[in-house]
Amino acid sequence: MIQTILNALSLGGTYALASLGLGLVFGVMRLVNFAYSELITIAAYTLVMTSQMPIIVGFLLSVVVTSIAAVLMELLVYRRLRGVAPAIMLVASFGLSKLLQQVYELCFGALPRSASIAPWMSGELKFSGVSITNTSLITALLTIVLLLVMRFLLNKTSFGIQLKAASADFRTARLLGVRANHLITLSFAMSGVLAAFVGAILVVGNPQVEPMFGMNMTILALVGIVIGGISSLPGSALGGFIVGVILSLLNTWLGNGRVYSYSWLFAVVFIILLVRPGGLLSKGQEMERV
Amino acid sequence: MQILEIEGLNSGYGKVDVLLNISFTMKVGQCFGIVGPNGVGKSTLLQTIAGAIKPKSGSIKLLGNEISGKNPEDIVRSGLALVPEGRQIFSGLTVMENLQLGLTGRVDKKTSHQAVEQVAELFPVITTHSKQQAGLLSGGQQQQLAIARALITDPKVLLLDEPSLGLAPNIINDLFSNLSRILEAGTTLLIVEQRANLITKFADEILVMRDGLIQARLNKIDAQDENKLKEAYFGAGVKK
Repeated sequence: MIQTILNALSLGGTYALASLGLGLVFGVMRLVNFAYSELITIAAYTLVMTSQMPIIVGFLLSVVVTSIAAVLMELLVYRRLRGVAPAIMLVASFGLSKLLQQVYELCFGALPRSASIAPWMSGELKFSGVSITNTSLITALLTIVLLLVMRFLLNKTSFGIQLKAASADFRTARLLGVRANHLITLSFAMSGVLAAFVGAILVVGNPQVEPMFGMNMTILALVGIVIGGISSLPGSALGGFIVGVILSLLNTWLGNGRVYSYSWLFAVVFIILLVRPGGLLSKGQEMERV
Repeated sequence: MQILEIEGLNSGYGKVDVLLNISFTMKVGQCFGIVGPNGVGKSTLLQTIAGAIKPKSGSIKLLGNEISGKNPEDIVRSGLALVPEGRQIFSGLTVMENLQLGLTGRVDKKTSHQAVEQVAELFPVITTHSKQQAGLLSGGQQQQLAIARALITDPKVLLLDEPSLGLAPNIINDLFSNLSRILEAGTTLLIVEQRANLITKFADEILVMRDGLIQARLNKIDAQDENKLKEAYFGAGVKK
C-alpha cells in the first residue's frame, strides 16, 4: 500500500513538473508548446550519452542542453511568429516537434538508445516489512523539493509576480514595465530546466530513449493543464499531479486490465471538466468582488 | 515647455483605421480631457500613446524624444504611464504585489521605498489592505490601486482611461481630489472621461473626438458652455 501511494505521489509529482513546464510558457505566450516533448527527449538522450560520466555531471549537462534548446526554440521559431494567430503558433509547435523528432532520428537512430543510468536507484529500501524502490522514493522527494522551489519562485520573487501577472494579462503587465522578451525567454529557460528534471526521472525508470520518448508525458501533461485551469500556474501543477496520481493508481488497481487505464483516466478527466469546465483552479472560480 | 507632442497620428486595428491624423501638444503640468461618443477612438488614442497599439504612422514625442512604435515597457520607463479602462488590476495578486509590478517600470529603483510611502499617503488602501487579494477590493479601492500602480512608475505624463467608470458619486469626488494633488505635484494628465460635466470643470483644455478625429479643442471656459460643447460633441446643427 505504501509503495502504491509512493508510486502515485512520485508519478503525480513528475506530471506536475511537466505540466508546470508547459504552463509557464502557455501563461506568457498562450502557446501550447508541443515541442516540449522534444525537450524531455533531448534531456533523456543527454543522460544516455553521458552515462559513462558521474550522474551529477550528466544531469547538469542535461539541464544546460535542455534549457539552451528551449531558449533557442523561443528565439529562432516562436519569437519570429509572435503576434500571429494562435492556430498558426499551434501548427508551428507541431511542426517543430515533428522536425526535432526527425533530427533525433538522424542523429541517434530510430531504435531506442539505452544505457544504465544510476543503477543504484533500482534497489529497494525495506522499512518494517514494507519495501520501497529507491526510484520511487528519490523521485517523490525530488519532485516535492522542486515544487517547493517553484512555489517560492512564483510567490516570493519579483520574477514570479511578473510571471503570474503576465499569465493573467500580459498586455497590462507590459504597460507596467514587465519586459516581454526577458520574461518569455526566462520562462522558456525554466520550462527547459523542468523538462530536464522530467527527462531524468523518466530515463531512470525506463532507460530506452527513442525520438518520441517525451510524447506521452507531454500529452498527459497537457491534459493536466486543462483540468487544473489553463491560465493558472498552480492549477497546471495540480492538474498534472492529479493525472499522474490517477494513472499510477489505475495501473496498480486494474492489474491485467491496465491496458484500459488511459480510457478510465480520460473518463475521470471528462467528469472533472463537466463539473468544472474551466478547470479546477480556473480564473472564473477565483473569489472576486467586482 | 512641451512634454507631449503628437503629430499626424494614425492608428487602428488591422485594416480598420480608428485614429485619423491626430495632432495636439501638451505642456508640463497641464491637464487635458478627451470626450466624445462611444467608439470614436478615445481609448485607442491612449493605448497608442502608451505603446499597447502600434501606430500606423505619425509621431509621438515625450520631452522631445520619439516614442512612437516603441514597446510599452520602454515607454513606461521613458516616463509615460497608462491607467487602463476597467482598471485591469491583477485580481489574483495582493495589493502590494500589484504595486510591486509598478516598480518594475520604475527607472530609479533606489527611491522605490519612498515612492511606495508617497503613493500610500495619497491612497491609504495601499497600507490598509496591502496583503489583501486585489480582486476583493471595492471598485473605488481598485481604482486607487490602479492609479497608485501607474504613479509608482514615476511618470511625467499620466494617461487615465475612464477613471470614474462604475464608481459612486462620492468616490468620484475623492478620485478627482486625488488627481488634483497629482497634478499639483507636476504630473501632466491626459484623461478620457465620459462624464463631460466632470472633466470640463477639471481639465485645462478639452479635446472633443468624433469619427477618429479631434473635432474641437475647447478651453476651460468654452468647454463649460453647454451649447459649444454639444456642438463640438454632436456636430453642427444641434438644436439649442
